[in-house]
Amino acid sequence: MIKFWKKRVENSIATRYLEFDKDLEEIKKELKTKINKKFAGSLAIRMVSSGSCNACEAECNALSNPYYDLERLGIHFVASPRHADVMLLSGVVSVNMYHHVQDVYAQMPQPAYIVTLGDCPMLANVFKKSFAIKGAKSLELPITYQIHGCPPEPKEIISGLLEFLKILD
Amino acid sequence: MKQQRLIARFAIENSDNFEVITIFDDEIKTVEIDKKNPILESISSKYTTATWFERKIHDDFGINIINSYDNRPLVHHERFPKIFPLRKDFKEKKIEFSQYTPYKYETVKGDGVFEVAVGPIHAGIIEPGHFQFSQEGERMLHLEVRHFYTYRGIEKTLEGQKLLDSQMTIERISGNESIAYQLALFDIIMQASGIKYDDELKKYHCLLLEIERIIHHLTDIGFIPNDAGFGAALSFASQLSEDTRIFLKEICGHRFGFGSIGFEVKEYDEKKVIDFLNTLEEKVKWFEDWITDIPSLWARFDTTGTLNKQKARKYGVVGVVARASGKQVDRRDNDFYKKHGFVLQNEKVGDVGSRFKLRIKEIYNSIAMIRNFTGSTCRVQKPKDFQDGEYMSFVESSIGELFMFIKIKDGLIERFYVRDPSFINWQALYLMMEKDIIADFPLINKSCDLSYAGNDL
Repeated sequence: MIKFWKKRVENSIATRYLEFDKDLEEIKKELKTKINKKFAGSLAIRMVSSGSCNACEAECNALSNPYYDLERLGIHFVASPRHADVMLLSGVVSVNMYHHVQDVYAQMPQPAYIVTLGDCPMLANVFKKSFAIKGAKSLELPITYQIHGCPPEPKEIISGLLEFLKILD
Repeated sequence: MKQQRLIARFAIENSDNFEVITIFDDEIKTVEIDKKNPILESISSKYTTATWFERKIHDDFGINIINSYDNRPLVHHERFPKIFPLRKDFKEKKIEFSQYTPYKYETVKGDGVFEVAVGPIHAGIIEPGHFQFSQEGERMLHLEVRHFYTYRGIEKTLEGQKLLDSQMTIERISGNESIAYQLALFDIIMQASGIKYDDELKKYHCLLLEIERIIHHLTDIGFIPNDAGFGAALSFASQLSEDTRIFLKEICGHRFGFGSIGFEVKEYDEKKVIDFLNTLEEKVKWFEDWITDIPSLWARFDTTGTLNKQKARKYGVVGVVARASGKQVDRRDNDFYKKHGFVLQNEKVGDVGSRFKLRIKEIYNSIAMIRNFTGSTCRVQKPKDFQDGEYMSFVESSIGELFMFIKIKDGLIERFYVRDPSFINWQALYLMMEKDIIADFPLINKSCDLSYAGNDL
């Protein structure tokens, strides 16, 4: 373990080195104030994949790497819909997932918000002609905000979440 | 007698019959099936992994499987209507839900034996899939893997499309393996158009494929220790994988390589690539040195989730899982790759530790290969006409051997089939659970890191 701490001291904090850190820093600051105000300092997100290609999940996983490190802003991904404020929905909502997504929403404490992730849920991509998918609109649940992109980059997800918080004003 | 390795088994509809094609590693068998009375003899008693293939054939075409020990629906879940979507007469745009029919799980019954149902939605940031455990206390007696929640009907969507237009869909089958899927398609495009697949272009494509593999392995060597409760490794490795993803974007313009496999070599800064690889190699070396020194971690890794060589051979597993068990299966094992520094990596024991070590070894080998793949320039004429026929392609994706089949008729895709490496490996997952407790499951599952989306299609 001593090796790790030595390296840690040598390298300092990883986030310092990324070139786009500056605008990210701005977004983060704003994001933190909003979350403090509206969600008492902690925004809990439940990630639900309803038939995506797993690129969106990979980008969400990337949000917790040392470069973006969402947790320090008070945003964390939680393990149960019962702990969540927001459902982050990716994927096309396949026929086989349709009812499970409904279940997740039913279990979330109100007020619950849905933010879609990527082009899939709104069927803005190549899969729209398939017979085996339903799309997020067919769920007949309120969708508060859409983050577009195929897949949206971590930076776009972060600024998307900020936009979502602005809508709540 | 040595048992053949089953690669894929799938059906095609012709105008007057069905055809079931079975691909082995050294042979292709075709069976014709009457349309009026569609019956297929099962081979699952000899080839266990044929089970899912046959259940899928039934769900897609309505061909009845006889002499099989498992006739439950695979793709069609509780509320899925009774349709056979891959038949040519199925032309619905949308389907309605049918009545709920319960699914009977494979379970162990007995005094004090209980079941644990996990999924389809999991606690982490991960795709949907269901695991049904039969438990005796903490010990796992049996596990049934049930997937196909992300079934998007891709095979049907691609029918009737032009070959060149299909790339947009095929690259999105499984995001982690996007470049591998595109390469399989590109190989078929080259075969069907009769244009020579230039070695210079191939070098560029393989360079991208190896970067994709490095990203996948780097993510895993972070997540595997994380599932054993060692989060620092994830912090370190996820930083490396993010670096590599940004690097991939610099080279091909997309973080996952969507749309990157084309007919020309995109320009990139060669020196930057070499510099990046040198730094990466150094960091991975540091990581390896650090992580091999943590005994409590290896106490979790060693002997957990063991898949021995006999079982690996019986189930015909592929990719990292197979090589960690000592099987020499790798589609890159050919002259082209060997010329550029490919060395088949192997481990012996087949436990979580082996798979972890194998991933690190493969990162080094991929880095060595990329050094030799740099510096190619080439442009190939974009083909216009394609010869009708049946084409097959094999690519070693970051998970394992990917098999793609496309039948072209009148210049359009008549039948598209792809077998993700995960399709085979998921079926062998339960074998790794025998001696372990349920708390080890996430660790074992992650060490294989299989795709859900590629498996479900």
